[in-house]
Amino acid sequence: MNLSILARASILSSTLTSRTLNRTIPHRPISSSSLSYTPTSPNPKTPLFLRPPIFTATLTDLKKFQTWAQTLASSVGSSFTESDNGPCSEILHRELNWLIQDSVQTPDILSLNSDSKTDAVVKLRAELGDLYLLWKQRIEERRPFQYVVGCEHWRDLVLSVEEGVLIPRPETELMVDLVEGVVKERVGLKRGLWVDLGTGSGAIGIGIGRVLGDEGRVVAVDVSPVAVQVALFNVRRYGLEDKVSVKQGSWFEPLSGLEGQISGLVSNPPYIPSGHISGLQAEVGRHEPILALDGGEDGMSDLLHLCNGAASMLEPGGFFAFETNGEDQCRFLVDHMESVHNNSFCDLKIVPDFAGVQRFVTGFRS
Amino acid sequence: MESVVHGFFVSPPAAAAAADHKLRSPYLTPKPLLTAYKTLPFPSHSLSFSHSKVLSATPDAGVSTETGVWAMQDFYTLRKEVEATSKRVEEIRASAGLEQLGEEVAKLEKAAATDSFWDDRSSAQQTLMALTDVKDKINLLNEFQTMVDDAETIVNLTEEMESTDTALLEEAATIVKELNKALDKFELSQLLSGPYDKEGAVINITAGAGGTDAQDWADMLLRMYVRWGERQRYKTRVVEKSMGEEAGIKSATIEVEGRYAFGYLSGEKGTHRIVRQSPFNSKGLRQTSFSGVEVMPLLPEDSLNVEIPEEDLQIGFSRAGGSGGQNVNKVETAVRITHIPTGVTVRCTEERSQLANKIKALSRLKAKLMVIAVEQRASEIKQIRGDTVKADWGQQIRNYVFHPYKLVKDVRTGYETTDIVSVMDGELDPFIKAYLRFKYTQSM
Repeated sequence: MNLSILARASILSSTLTSRTLNRTIPHRPISSSSLSYTPTSPNPKTPLFLRPPIFTATLTDLKKFQTWAQTLASSVGSSFTESDNGPCSEILHRELNWLIQDSVQTPDILSLNSDSKTDAVVKLRAELGDLYLLWKQRIEERRPFQYVVGCEHWRDLVLSVEEGVLIPRPETELMVDLVEGVVKERVGLKRGLWVDLGTGSGAIGIGIGRVLGDEGRVVAVDVSPVAVQVALFNVRRYGLEDKVSVKQGSWFEPLSGLEGQISGLVSNPPYIPSGHISGLQAEVGRHEPILALDGGEDGMSDLLHLCNGAASMLEPGGFFAFETNGEDQCRFLVDHMESVHNNSFCDLKIVPDFAGVQRFVTGFRS
Repeated sequence: MESVVHGFFVSPPAAAAAADHKLRSPYLTPKPLLTAYKTLPFPSHSLSFSHSKVLSATPDAGVSTETGVWAMQDFYTLRKEVEATSKRVEEIRASAGLEQLGEEVAKLEKAAATDSFWDDRSSAQQTLMALTDVKDKINLLNEFQTMVDDAETIVNLTEEMESTDTALLEEAATIVKELNKALDKFELSQLLSGPYDKEGAVINITAGAGGTDAQDWADMLLRMYVRWGERQRYKTRVVEKSMGEEAGIKSATIEVEGRYAFGYLSGEKGTHRIVRQSPFNSKGLRQTSFSGVEVMPLLPEDSLNVEIPEEDLQIGFSRAGGSGGQNVNKVETAVRITHIPTGVTVRCTEERSQLANKIKALSRLKAKLMVIAVEQRASEIKQIRGDTVKADWGQQIRNYVFHPYKLVKDVRTGYETTDIVSVMDGELDPFIKAYLRFKYTQSM
């Protein structure tokens, strides 16, 4: 394994060197530890923006990087969008700004139009050579931006993410609003035990941990050890260790003994039909964990499993919210709940996301 | 009219906020006079007013410090200046309504003396603040008088004396010079009395008709405003920039943090027109392009206590195509909010999460609505909606001609300069001041 990492890093660094031969970038050999992205690390990586600014570059060299990266981003045009609905140049330019924001201690220095301070030394959170490499990975390998910088801004949180953990999506932000709305009306639920199954980076778990009352608790569950580590890291970063506990296991497994005692159950399980996986946007299909995406033949396997579990785990009056792939899955789920679990659930609702796609199914245990 | 207003900007908190803005006058502390001045607008002109500098700071008042000898000519110049300044002080004191100010103090003091004064703490505090402000203003106006009196005394004394006292004359020259600066600032601060003038500003630049040339022009304007902000020592950030296909930008948003930024910049709202030999035109023909500039106050989150009913908002999130959710990974988290009753729309893309963009967009929408609310005092809402900046022919507020001659001319004030390079480098103060005066005379 280690060999393959080294091999990969050396290929990358040699392509980098050949690409940038005419430049005078002072870059040392790239260390495999900081840049390899095989999802095996027992300890989660520190997101770029949290790393200490121990590297330096001159403003001129940094500007050279910026120009080079901008050119690379512009060269994409709309080709990614046309091939698999990937990002266009405009989005990539925005990402580049954010990469600079995260890696340069004083990013404003680039936007100032002062020409005189070109000799100024800028402090960086990664070596300049590594920035070249990261941006190449972003464009040429379509490595997701969030993995490149090691974080995703989600709601008012900045969550650490890395290979092996699903990057939380903006649509899912609404899940927290749904829970917030429910606990406002049913104050009892605010003090209860909540569960986020398949928590990934811990996004939903942390989000609802912050809207529950003082007595409310959250158990965030994931089967992937990498996800568990990353979720723990994020929980700690927001100081929620006493409120959100992270457990490793498959779905309801770590919750045995809690039947009928759970106040709320939320999940964004894998729901993409297996047949669609190969056609996904490269950032998703090639880089994100298939375990978190593939929901079986019709994408419903895990959703149905959750649905059945909800019937036995939720306390009477307990709330659930599931994210789905869209209208068909939502309808299927509601039909299933009404026909198979008749009388188990009530107030079933289909809630659209901000783009108008029927995205969530919510309801209460009777 | 009422259906459009929807009661949101006449709600008590908003009215209170507006009142609060009015009450706080721009000068914070009355004494000493000179430190008070440092809080006044135009931070780039730092005032170095101290008597210790008297001997070295006078050459442009007609004093030859090298020889230390005052020619009669210099003395007459000084006397003339003192006379002019004295007249100016008189005018300013008259137009500031010293008498009314005195009455106001009496009224406020009476209110503060009542038994029930502290029953309503917040209104009590406002009254006291208003009192301090009015007193400060009176002190300042009296200080002007004292200064000019001092200068006059020196002049009179010199006329009576046989020989001239150089040090005294230099002191008079310094007083006159600094007093004029102070009067300039006072006048300007009087011009900046709009409810949001004290706030920071958000500038929105949009390329208009003219293709790549216009996008390049928008980029030049962006640089101009950033430079202006830097010159003022304002914290200036380009928070959003949408690049043009070939060159320049399609649009950009600048946040300018600092006192009075909005007051100065609000007159920049409008269409800016460039005439030049376009570098994007292979034939080298003369080309005209336009860019639109919009300016809104940058309001602190908590001051935006405008309540907008949820149902008046239409919130759209641009999530590019497909099935969304797990299927897509794009950092596209743009949020677009439309205020249905007025049709006012804002879009926010610069934040990195959807929620953050929504919060920011909402606060920008509120700021925009507040500007409309202020403008509404003068005109109907229909007109305001029609008042959106159209970056096109015949709408410009200012022309920037690079070719065949060099000239920047403001269409409203008539102010012009041939030094186009400095203007593009952010030297906008003369234009801004001219507009503020123009606006002031229009309102009289």
